[in-house]
Amino acid sequence: MKLKILLVGQPNVGKSSLLNALVGPKVIVSNYPGTTVEITKAKNVFDRTKIEFEDTPGIYSISDRSAEEKVTERALFEENPDGAMIIADSVSLERSLYLAFQVLEAEIPVVIALNFVESAEKRGITIDHKKLGKILGVPVIPINPLTKSGINELVGALLKIKKTKEEVFTVRYDDDIEKAIKKISFQVTKTRLPRRFVALRVLEEDADFYKYLKDEEIIEEAKKGLVDHPRVSEDISITRSGTAAFIAEKITRITSVAEKSKSLEERVDRVLLHRVWGPFLTILTFVAIIGALLFLGSWVQDTLMGFTGSFLSAIHIGGGFIGTALEAGLTGLMAGVSIALPYVFLFYILFTLVEDTGLLSRFVVNLERFLRGLNLPGKAIIPLALGLGCTVPGVRATRILASGKERFYTASLFTAVPCSSRIAIIRGIVGYFGGKLLAASVLVSLIVAFLIFGYLMKKVMRMEKKPVLYELPELPPYRIPSIKNIITKSWIRMKTFVYIVMPFLIIGGIFYTALDTLGVTKAVVGLFSPIMWWLGLPAVAIIPWLFGYLQKDLSAAMLFTVLGTEIAVVLSPLQVYTFGVATTIGIPCIIATGMLLKEFGSKRALALTLVSAVYGLLFAGLVWRTISVF
Amino acid sequence: MPKEPDILKIVKEDILRILGETKKEVLLDSIKAEIKVSPSFVSQAIKGLEEENQILVRKNFIRLTKDGQNKAKDIVKKHLVLENYFKRTKNEEEAHKMTDILEHYVSEEVIKNIKKLSTFKQRGVPLTELELYKENLITDILIPNSKLFERMVSMGIHPGEKIRIMYKTPDGFVVNVSRKKIALGKDIAKKIKVLE
Repeated sequence: MKLKILLVGQPNVGKSSLLNALVGPKVIVSNYPGTTVEITKAKNVFDRTKIEFEDTPGIYSISDRSAEEKVTERALFEENPDGAMIIADSVSLERSLYLAFQVLEAEIPVVIALNFVESAEKRGITIDHKKLGKILGVPVIPINPLTKSGINELVGALLKIKKTKEEVFTVRYDDDIEKAIKKISFQVTKTRLPRRFVALRVLEEDADFYKYLKDEEIIEEAKKGLVDHPRVSEDISITRSGTAAFIAEKITRITSVAEKSKSLEERVDRVLLHRVWGPFLTILTFVAIIGALLFLGSWVQDTLMGFTGSFLSAIHIGGGFIGTALEAGLTGLMAGVSIALPYVFLFYILFTLVEDTGLLSRFVVNLERFLRGLNLPGKAIIPLALGLGCTVPGVRATRILASGKERFYTASLFTAVPCSSRIAIIRGIVGYFGGKLLAASVLVSLIVAFLIFGYLMKKVMRMEKKPVLYELPELPPYRIPSIKNIITKSWIRMKTFVYIVMPFLIIGGIFYTALDTLGVTKAVVGLFSPIMWWLGLPAVAIIPWLFGYLQKDLSAAMLFTVLGTEIAVVLSPLQVYTFGVATTIGIPCIIATGMLLKEFGSKRALALTLVSAVYGLLFAGLVWRTISVF
Repeated sequence: MPKEPDILKIVKEDILRILGETKKEVLLDSIKAEIKVSPSFVSQAIKGLEEENQILVRKNFIRLTKDGQNKAKDIVKKHLVLENYFKRTKNEEEAHKMTDILEHYVSEEVIKNIKKLSTFKQRGVPLTELELYKENLITDILIPNSKLFERMVSMGIHPGEKIRIMYKTPDGFVVNVSRKKIALGKDIAKKIKVLE
């Protein structure tokens, strides 16, 4: 026998930890609400029944508002699960009941796992889970994923999930609303979903459900009977939450516990959420992370580079096209292994550490005011920061944003968010041949370029201003993160880099050699000479600029090939600077464009790649020209 | 829906309520007509109440004992408060029905809160005016966007719930509501009404 069970619950309610307890440690556990934007699947066999678990993104309600809700909604209502396991929070039960009611309305078989029982008890909250089960007509099982208590019972309930015959609780709306629901339900067709549920979703203005109606006009007609409910969807929400509060009160016993004078959490928050210290410490932390990275990263890189360098010279493959191509491919791979890999991995470990402690959610609140200048919510910092490792996972992480527009806009900003390969150019070429100060001025130029590009795109895309903290971020309690989780999660984030980017590094290297052998690279020098004239660079510098797009990590090597290793002799410091700025602004490589293509379609991906490249050239040229006037 | 022993309890409370509201002898049949469960439940409930010495049954009429009167008074009060609460979304008759279902699940604490609500509803002030660390009840949420409204309500920010401002951040507040910490922007906070 086989069962497909969805894990449904609020953000940060312990879905992923529970999944770990059920199938073993294969999945992400995070302390930043809303990290799971995709569905994580995991299987295990219990008593000869194979259960496939699907961990859905955390949501508070099914209201068709954010990307998370859409993903969970689809899993619940369009993919015919055998049942849903709702993970409820004992500390704030009524919130969990709201979501539970919505799932029960869809008549999906439900088992409720009651989590955080101990931490609720520490706060003087005891829940009569048996009574709750009786009222709702579904099994309610207290669990603790860490000690695994209750897990066996939970599995037992899951195995029987399709056999329960108890009548389940449904929220009753008032007669006018129920009448309207009934009226609409007669028009419901072409779906296995219960008619009452579809009608209710329609009344709640969830446009995804209009397709199940024979005639959409019924909506207006049904609403005619709702003179007392000018805003029926709100009245439905209120009734649901009122019912949830009533039931939660009924089965919860609260005894006052002497609160510890000032808990550690409050003391930390007093500083981290301070008007002045909060934003200051947030920025300081990010600067510290990048600083630590440049330091640690360069140390690891140097060690590995020496390693791969001697490896490359040791396995001299031999001449001819194939030999050169293989060597270029290997060089690309080694560049990936020695430059990007340690940097990206280190970065993701540090970032995940900040996330899992619960610090990130505070930082996001503090960054709201800065990102609001771009009409983005504070949490846009997550994809943008991930982009400092590699643009490809960064583009993917834009999925946590609410609308397609916000997502693409954020992705466009990667134009001036340097990934590890671009930072390597700044350090390896600009820093090495022009000095630290020059490298720093390239970074400053990138920040300016970021702000200008962000402003322009905001205008072009007509990004609307939303109320401050529109996302209503929740601040979870601080937690000591487990090292295992951090490594696992960093690895999952790295995966796109290793499996998508790394192969392309090889292909890009080979492709470049092929073009070079065919004489294509030399041929474009004349063709693009106006561009280099505009930048005030030697015409051959087009090669690393243009072909760096195939393989960013080879840019430095390409520059050496065309100009010789004595860069400082051939190029003035200003030229080194201009080269640095021009090669680091823009969608960095063909792999990033590929990811954009996958996420946003070919039209927008190609347009962004082109526009960002032109912008980089314009910006670098203008800066160079302005400076040379003086 | 509630299971049998619960139903019996509900029916018992309903009988007491009806008797409490009318304050005189009531015809057995009219009770059976008003309470929409199978008559056998009603008979069972009446038998139970009689044994508990809450009511007296004489021929086809029943009335409250002294004990029963006290209990009925409480039930009627609870009922009235709940009806008031639900008038926000319902007309009177519907509120009555809704209340019938819910009152059996309500604790005294909630009733106290709701009672405050129904008296003070129009007089709430924006959350932005609430003192730091002072806990108070949410009376209303005036958000025009129904999706955002549902998000707030499902996060535990709903009328009848206590809210407390923990920190003032550059862009708004961090509040404690339903035992969770949530960051609210100024614009949204202004639209949450709380008791003064």
